[in-house]
This record gives sequence, C-alpha cells and structure tokens, in this order.
Amino acid sequence: MKYLMLIYGNQEKWDSILGEAWPAEIAKQEAFNRKYSGTGELIGAYGLADAVNARLVRRQDGAPAVTDGPYLETKEYIASFYLVDCENAERAEQIAADMPWADQEPTEVWPILHESPTNP
Amino acid sequence: MPEPGMTADRDPGDLLRELAPQVLGALLRRFGHFDLCEDATQEALLAAALQWPRDGTPDNPRGWLITVAARRLMDAARSESSRRRREDQVAVATPQSELLSPAADADPGQDGDDSLALLFGCCHPSLSAPSQIALTLRAVGGLTTAEIAAAFLVPEATMAQRVSRAKQAIRDSGVPLTVPAGEAERGDRLRAVLHVLYLIFNEGYTATQGDQLTRPDLSAEAIRLARWMHRLLPGGGEVTGLLALMLLTEARRPARTSPGGELVPLAEQQRSRWDRALIAEGVALITGALAASGQAAGGPAIGPYQLQAAIAAVHDEAEDVDATDWPQILALYDLLDRVAPNPAGRLSRVVAVARVHGPAAGLDALAALESDRRMAGYHRLHATRAHLLGLAGQHGPAAAAYREAARRSTSVPERRYLSRMAAEQAGQAEQAAQAEQEAPPPGGGVR
Repeated sequence: MKYLMLIYGNQEKWDSILGEAWPAEIAKQEAFNRKYSGTGELIGAYGLADAVNARLVRRQDGAPAVTDGPYLETKEYIASFYLVDCENAERAEQIAADMPWADQEPTEVWPILHESPTNP
Repeated sequence: MPEPGMTADRDPGDLLRELAPQVLGALLRRFGHFDLCEDATQEALLAAALQWPRDGTPDNPRGWLITVAARRLMDAARSESSRRRREDQVAVATPQSELLSPAADADPGQDGDDSLALLFGCCHPSLSAPSQIALTLRAVGGLTTAEIAAAFLVPEATMAQRVSRAKQAIRDSGVPLTVPAGEAERGDRLRAVLHVLYLIFNEGYTATQGDQLTRPDLSAEAIRLARWMHRLLPGGGEVTGLLALMLLTEARRPARTSPGGELVPLAEQQRSRWDRALIAEGVALITGALAASGQAAGGPAIGPYQLQAAIAAVHDEAEDVDATDWPQILALYDLLDRVAPNPAGRLSRVVAVARVHGPAAGLDALAALESDRRMAGYHRLHATRAHLLGLAGQHGPAAAAYREAARRSTSVPERRYLSRMAAEQAGQAEQAAQAEQEAPPPGGGVR
C-alpha cells in the first residue's frame, strides 16, 4: 500500500531555525531518507520551493494562462512530501512518527487510492 | 537428468522460473556471496530468455544456466577483484564440472533444500515486507526487476534499488541462507515465509488497477510458489493450508467482478462461474491436512491458514449463500479467533453470528468490537454494520453506515461497491417511508 506523507510549514518557521542548526536538521532528514530507502519503503522524498514560486495554470483558448499563487488562506503550506510503499497503515504511521521533526510537527499521512503505471 | 517432458512442450518462461532458485541455490552452495550469485543467475536467465526461443532449448537447461551464471560470476569476481586490488574470496578456480556434478548425481533432495534455504533467506524477518516480497519474486520466483516493478506500480529504478538494498542487508547482517535447525525458530521463520507468499497472493487478487496485460499475475505466481513449497514440505500443515486457501479463493475470481468491472460480494456471486477444478483440489488438500492434524495427538494446534482454508471450503462447496453451513463456519471462526485473533476474522465471525442467530445477535456481537479503538476506524467494521442493519430492515442507518465505510475504504472498486450499496439502502429507506405514509399502519383501522 502506498502513502503520501506531507509536512507543512512557512518561511517564517524555516527562518526561525538558526543558521547553525540548519545543516544538522537537514542531515537528520537525509538520515531518515537513507534509512527508509534502505528498507525499500521510501520511493521518493521531495522538498518544495516557497509558495512565492508557486503558479496557478489554466488553459484559455488552448494556451496556458499563468498567474501567481496560490494565495493560500492557510498560514502554512506544503513544504515537503514523501512517497512511501509499505505493508500497512500501522507501518506507515510508524515511519511518519520517525520523521526527524515529528516530536514538534505532525506529518499528514494519506493512503493513496488510485495510481496508474508509469512504465508501460 | 532432466525429467522427461520437462523441456519439450513447456512454456520457456515457466521452465526458466522453475529453474531459477535451483541455479541460484547451486551457485550459492559453491560460492556463497548471495548478491553476486543472484545477479549472475538473473543475467543467465535473461540470456536464456533471449537465446532459447531462437536456438532451441538446450538438452540440459539447468546445466546450461549454471554454466552461464558461473561464467558471469567469474567475470564479475575478476573485475571486482581487479577494481579493489585484492583477491576475491570467490573460488575462481573451481572447475565447472565440479559445479555441475550435483545435477549428474541427481540427488533429488539437494536442489529442494537449497531452494528452500534461499526462500527462508529472502523472507528473513530483518527485511521490510516490500523488500521480502521483491527479493522472493526475483531470487526464488525468477521474475525480472522490470516485471516486479510493473506488478507493484513503482519505477523500475526504485525496484532495482529495493532489491539491491535488500541483498546488501542480507550480506551485512550475515543472515545464513539455511533453513533453521531448531524447531521453534524454524516455525517462526516458516510463518514469515508463508506470510510473504500470502501478501504476494493478496496483492494479485485485490489488484484491479493498471494494465492487466503488462502486469504479471501475482496470484498465479504466489500459487506457483506455494505449490512448489508444498512439494518440498508435503507434511507442513500450514503450507498445505495456505496453498488450499489460495486455490479456494482463486476459484472465485471469474465471479468476483461484474462484466462492468464492479466488485461482486461472495453472497451475490454467480457460483456456476467458480472454477470447480481449483475447488476440488483445494478441498482435497485442506481435508487431508486437517485429517493429518487431527491424528497428530499432542501436535501443534491447527494453524490459521488451515482454518481459513476450511472456511473457504465450506463456502465454496455450498450451492448458494442460504445453503451454506453457517454453524460450521461460525465454529471455525471461533477457533480462528482463539488461534490467531485478527480484525478481519472477527468481523467475518460477526457475519456468521448474524447468519446463525439473526441480525440482532450480529449487531450485539459487533458492538463488542466497536469499543476497540483500533477497530473503530476500520472500513470493514462499518461495512459489516451496514450489512447487518440492512438485514434488520433499518435501511436509513444502513445507508449511513455504507457511506461511512465507503469514505474509509482505500480501494477504488470497493469504494464504488460500498457507495452503490449506500444508494440502494437509501432507496429502500425512502420506499419504506413512502409506504408508511400511503398505507395505514398494519392493523391500524381494525382495532
């Protein structure tokens, strides 16, 4: 069963982590990623750019129409996401609880309902 | 010597995959080095898949594969040792005749023992479930990484990494590729192996996504591996139980989905479409296993796979849902709850209670489970309550419970089925309300 794990945040929160502490925090995350790549359960780990770089794209008259945004109502937005393939929900929760910042910040765990094969 | 008929008129793919664990086992016995041997075996299988259809299947396919794999292993070992500037432990000088001698000796037990040891190693408890499955399918099942990746809808590179990390883990942890000698450890490890085969079967049985033509049939693969294990361990009650369970479940596959791809529950399946040959085989297997367990006084209790197979057999032998021997099914679920309690079994037991003692008794039994916090969010609990409420004529609450179950389900076909049931129950609730408005209550004007 595959799961999407989401971590939320905002620039203010990242700024609050002191410059010196940052590499150590990143190293913790890398260690987590290595650990679960090793068990074969982590398919991918992705960190997102700030929301200021996000775009809203529509199609108008067959051409892309691009605007800035999304201007999120919420104070926090998706900062990183993880694709995990593991035995069951219990195991997914175990892995989420092992996220380096899970003692301070919750991780959202979403079961993936549908997927299409990428390699035909 | 190859058995007569082994090379002729057989699908070359089947033959290759049957030989895969034997070839790897022979290499391992000689050289050790699980990861190198496994790579070499896989390369030999690929070479055979290319050459045999073109040039014809060799007279001794097993010997051919071992020779090619050993050559690849030597090449790999040489480049490895020159790269690292040290002698590799792999015995480069081993004459190939010596390597091939087990085939000539034709010790029938040796290949089986090797393959079984290999399977136990691949399912070692130190590996995560996805790694156990991937490694088992590749090293024992002889599937390619691309095929396994397609089966689990992950990119091939991800699956390749999963396999290589798992092999690395086996190497680093020094997991011995042997079947444990001690009774207790052997039992634990056997359970782990059976669980992996069960997971592979279920993945195939419940998979309804993706292109069926390009995804290998994991249920068929699990059955093939379980048959093979059963041949190696004919006296293993749980091995037989698992094989029987798979066959009795697989038998229902043709009736399990409607022509439109909708899920059809057991009670509504067209039983004439069930595979009678698979049912007969499964029933014979489980009957034999249960008889053997019954005779072994003081032996181990009947295990969960045997009990689940026995339940499946009772279902499969009934002409329709009403002709089913529900008291026997209830008794078997009671036993299962004692031997290996699990949420799915408990809910199925509740359905059996309702069939034997009525929906109200079923709802009472369900109430006892609802207090368990781990059960409360389980979609099957809501689906079971919906089913019982529907039977009890409480269509409104049944519709609500089906909707809740649909929301909580993590499978697309199941969610569609539950939503359809919710709509059906809502419709019945509406009809009942209308009938009540139009007609006077029963006996209304008489009193």
